[in-house]
Formats: sequence, structure tokens, C-alpha cells
Amino acid sequence: MSGLKWRKLGQIFDPIQFTLPNECGEFAQSPQALVFDQYVRVYFSSRRRDPDYPGKYLSHICFADFDKSMTQVLRVSDAPVIPLGKLGCFDEHGIFPMNVLRHDGKIYGYTSGWTRRVSVSVDTGIGLAFSHDDGLTFEKIGDGPILSASLNEPFLVGDPFVQVYNGVFHMWYIFGTEWRTFSNDQPPDRIYKIGHATSRDGITWIKEEARQLVADRLGDESQALPTVIEAQGRYHMLFCFRESHNFRKAKDRGYRLGYAYSDDLSTWTRADEKIGIEVSVSGWDSEMLCYPHVFECDGRVYLLYNGNEFGRRGFGIAVLE
Amino acid sequence: MFRWKKLGRVFDPETVDGRTWLKQFAQAPSIVVFDAFVRVYFSTRPLPDERGQYCSYSGYVDLDRGNLMSVLRVSEDPVLPLGESGAFDEFGTYPISVLPDGKDFVAYYAGWTRCESVPFNVGIGMARSTNGGVSFEKVGKGPVLPYSVDEPFILSGPKIRRFGDMWQLWYIAGSKWIIADGKPEPVYHIRMACSDDGIHWIKQNRNLIPTRIEENEAQASPDVIFKNGRYHMFFCYRYSTSYRGKEHGYRIGYASSDDMYHWDRDDSKAGIDISDEGWDSEMVAYPHVFELDGETYMLYLGNQVGKHGFGLAKLEGTL
Repeated sequence: MSGLKWRKLGQIFDPIQFTLPNECGEFAQSPQALVFDQYVRVYFSSRRRDPDYPGKYLSHICFADFDKSMTQVLRVSDAPVIPLGKLGCFDEHGIFPMNVLRHDGKIYGYTSGWTRRVSVSVDTGIGLAFSHDDGLTFEKIGDGPILSASLNEPFLVGDPFVQVYNGVFHMWYIFGTEWRTFSNDQPPDRIYKIGHATSRDGITWIKEEARQLVADRLGDESQALPTVIEAQGRYHMLFCFRESHNFRKAKDRGYRLGYAYSDDLSTWTRADEKIGIEVSVSGWDSEMLCYPHVFECDGRVYLLYNGNEFGRRGFGIAVLE
Repeated sequence: MFRWKKLGRVFDPETVDGRTWLKQFAQAPSIVVFDAFVRVYFSTRPLPDERGQYCSYSGYVDLDRGNLMSVLRVSEDPVLPLGESGAFDEFGTYPISVLPDGKDFVAYYAGWTRCESVPFNVGIGMARSTNGGVSFEKVGKGPVLPYSVDEPFILSGPKIRRFGDMWQLWYIAGSKWIIADGKPEPVYHIRMACSDDGIHWIKQNRNLIPTRIEENEAQASPDVIFKNGRYHMFFCYRYSTSYRGKEHGYRIGYASSDDMYHWDRDDSKAGIDISDEGWDSEMVAYPHVFELDGETYMLYLGNQVGKHGFGLAKLEGTL
């Protein structure tokens, strides 16, 4: 099979050039598209500093509407899109990311909720919310998650991406396998992999329970944010992956984009060499590529993604050639 | 009509030597009957760390079947290890409920982790013993009963039963954290799930027992026994705030059911209350009711929710 080929259109959104709700400033992470007739709404997670915990952040969902050429920002959200969770809930300290799906006249928002722990930094779970106002705001179906830790997926269930194929809801997501102390002067680092669950209604899910879908390429690899698109009878998955420790500062250990394909939605063949996108020589995406999101708009296939510093200065886009 | 005749305190953890993991508390007793003895599983704690924080472990004492007031032995080690870094049970395994399963024993236990905005969260795990209930191996690193839309946190207090072909799990689920005297306090109520295999559970997703003393009444230890054609549940309940003393502390409640799903609460029938003085003069909590050799007994906790151990009472009358 011939590889994919992406043409970079450049950075299209820098959060510090806009006024965002919830006192959000830097970071526009994990962009995810909802296509309308006249524009494309791109949801992302931004951050504010937590007034109660210096040095920590709260992640909030915002959006920016783009014209259909994906170059012009028409507006940004001027009000909170979805509230953070109540005291003690799985999404109390952040929602990052939110995957939005239009299906059967409804708009689903699948959230990755964050809550802080003491011995390790966080845990996550997957929630569900619906929008009844064309995606301006989302209402949670309850305080708790629809998908969370289970016998063999003990923590860090997050990063949902949902598509409906042949009447079945498919969710690709990540689950944690280990919190490992790599060096005694550093807090434990998490390791996580891509998993899969299915559902008839998008609400009640059956996990494959700790089946890692995509083979590792690195020794201690963490895999995040799967995104799947069907094209020419084949399912294509993009995701990001990195070393599990010393990945923030060491340029060659940080996030890169990975690729796998499947013909049956069950067996995935990893083929990073066919992904057709790399870090740039210089500029906003010269050190890191992460949090991919693939979508179709007016017959073209786009890839939204973050660059350096996990998206501190926003996101860019590429188009499939 | 029935009432419980108190036989006294069976076990005081502070009388045990040589076990660093067993210093204070003997909480949430539940039994397994052997030929010559009755094994009482309970949860206990080492001394708190320098910041005053506790871990909890589960162990057991074996009581003489012919004289339940006589302790034959205390387990050398905890029956379960704490969870690994980041796991739901990293800081505690309390309570535990054990059932025979063929030649094995299967345990459901609550695992504790520490959080930042609230002090803790709790999930329910599963473990199996192949050495007669002396130690258990976890079935997985994660919880067997996941948090869900309607049960966002604090899944705790598991009581495992098998009536008929199904497995039943009674437990508690948190609904909210309230702030009292500047501190978060959890509110939780009694719930239930059913399973064909003990691993995959279908939740009822509703509170089984209506609150009585206040809206934020917290309920625990839903202990169910089938007797005389009905299901009987003994449980404990308390006020949501200032509950560490006598006034608002735990009392034992009672409900009955024909189908184990729908319950009539009538605490006036519970037949047990605090004593005028002594180890159970401020609270009675965490009941476990069982039949043995023609008698019906209740194990329960007293003051400070079992800090000083558990006691035994014997049924007078019929359930």
C-alpha cells in the first residue's frame, strides 16, 4: 500500500491572540472538528492557572469557528462550553480533550476528565455530554464517567474518539498500564496504550478490556489520542506516541505522530513510515507533533494537530494529498 | 419481633502483639464458617504516618466454633497486599467480604486511594484465595465494579452473596461531597448489582434504602440474610456531619424484602442500640449477621467505628 501524504497549511490558531472564557490563556490542545454548512467549529482544551493550587492548571473546553478554507477564524467561544465536574468527580480539574460527534440528529461530546491524586499526579475517566444548541454548550448526562478504570485497565482511561460504522459505535481511547518510577528524584511517570470499546447506543460500552490495539515501536512507549477515518475501504488510525520518561525537554523523546491501518476494525498494522508527516525544520512544530484529529470537510481530508510544548501556542492543520 | 442479646466484645486489636500492620481498629467483620472454627475477616490499620494518615489492611481472627468468645488465632499477615503506584487500592483494603467458591474463596474488597481536593476515593476490587482463605490474589490491578454516570465516586462496603444462581453485590455509592467545618465529607447510600459470573456486574442504579434521619444521611454495611421466606438487611447509618461522637454517630438500621430488590425500612425493628456504658456506648455500626449451629448472631462495631474492636450479639426471637 502506498503511504499517506500530508501538505502542511501551517499554524492556524494561537490562543494568546484571542480572549477566551474561563480566564484561559495559553494552550489550545487537542483540536477536534465539528463541520457545519458555513463553517467548521474546532473544539480545543485551553488552561487557566488554578487559583487554589499554585503551579497547577485547570483545563477548559473552548472553540474557534473557521471558514471552510480553514484559514480564517470567524469567532471564538465567548462563554464556557462545558463546566468542570463537582467536588470529588472524575472531571473536577479539567476536561481535555473533548471529542464531538454528530450522529442521528444529536451532537455527542465525549470528554476526558481529569482529577488530581496524591501519590501520582492524576487519574482520568471518560464522560458523555450532549449539546442541544448546535454545539455552543454541552450538558453532561451525569456526574460520573461512562468509561473508567476496570479490572485490567486500572487507571488513566481517557482520550476518547468515537465513530459509528455499520450501526455500531466504536470508541478508541487510552488506558494506563503502569505508573513507573524511572529515577528516584522524579515523580512516577505514566505509561498508556490505545484500546477499543463498542456500543449500540453510544452510552453503554463494552471494552475489549486491556487489549492493546497498536504495537509498540519504542521500548517504554506511551500512545495517545487515536483518531480514525475510513477511506477507500480501509480504516486509518493516527495517534501520537512518545517515550514514557524525560519526554518534556528531550526533543527526540517527545511526541511524534504514529499510524496504523485496519481492514476489519479489529487487527491494526502499525506503519509509521507511511504517515507522510514529520516535524518541521524550524518553527511552531519543529520539536513535537501531537494530538492528531482527522476529519473530512467538503471532500477533503484534514489533519488538525498540535506542535511544540504540547500545544502551548495552539494548533495547525494539514491536508491529505 | 426480635432483639439482639449482647454477648460482649470478641476482639480488641490493641491486645495483639508483633504485627505492625495490626495496631488499631478491627472494622467491618464478616465470617466464613469452617469445621472447627469461624474465621472473621476484618480491616485494621498500622499506626498513622508522620502526617497522621492511615493505611488499612484486612486480616482475620479464628474463633472457636464451640465458643465464639474465644479467639484461637490471629492471621500473621494481611490477606491482601496494597495496590501498586496509582492503583485504586494503593492506600487501603477495607472492608472485605468473602464467600466460598468451590474449593476457592472469593473476596470483594474496597480499595482506597488519596486525592487532592477530597481526602480519598474508594473502588471495589476482587480477589481469589486458593489456600483456604489465608491469602488472596487480586483478579486484576483495577476495580471489578467501575464508576459510572450515576455512581461517580466512593464505591465501597461490598457484601457479596449468592442467592439462587446469581451473584449479588450490595455496596454503597457516593452521591456528593459536602463541606462541613471546612472539610469535605462524603454522602453515600446503599446500592446493589447482580452478576452471572462474579466479574461482569449489572447495577440497579438506584438507592435501595430511603434516608430517614436527614437527606444527607450516610448508609453503610448493607448485610443481607435470607430467613423465614424473606430477605433481611441490617445496615448502619449516621448523620452527615459531626458523626464521630455519640449524638450523630452510627446506629444499626433494618429493612426487609420479598425479592431483594425492593426494601421496606423499619429501624424500630433492628433490635439493637448503643449500651449505657462501655465499648459500644456511643455507636453501633457495621453489622454482619450469620447463622451457626442453629443460632443467629450479629457481629458489630462499637465506639469510634471499631477502633477498639468488634463484639457479638445473639438473636432472641425470629427474623
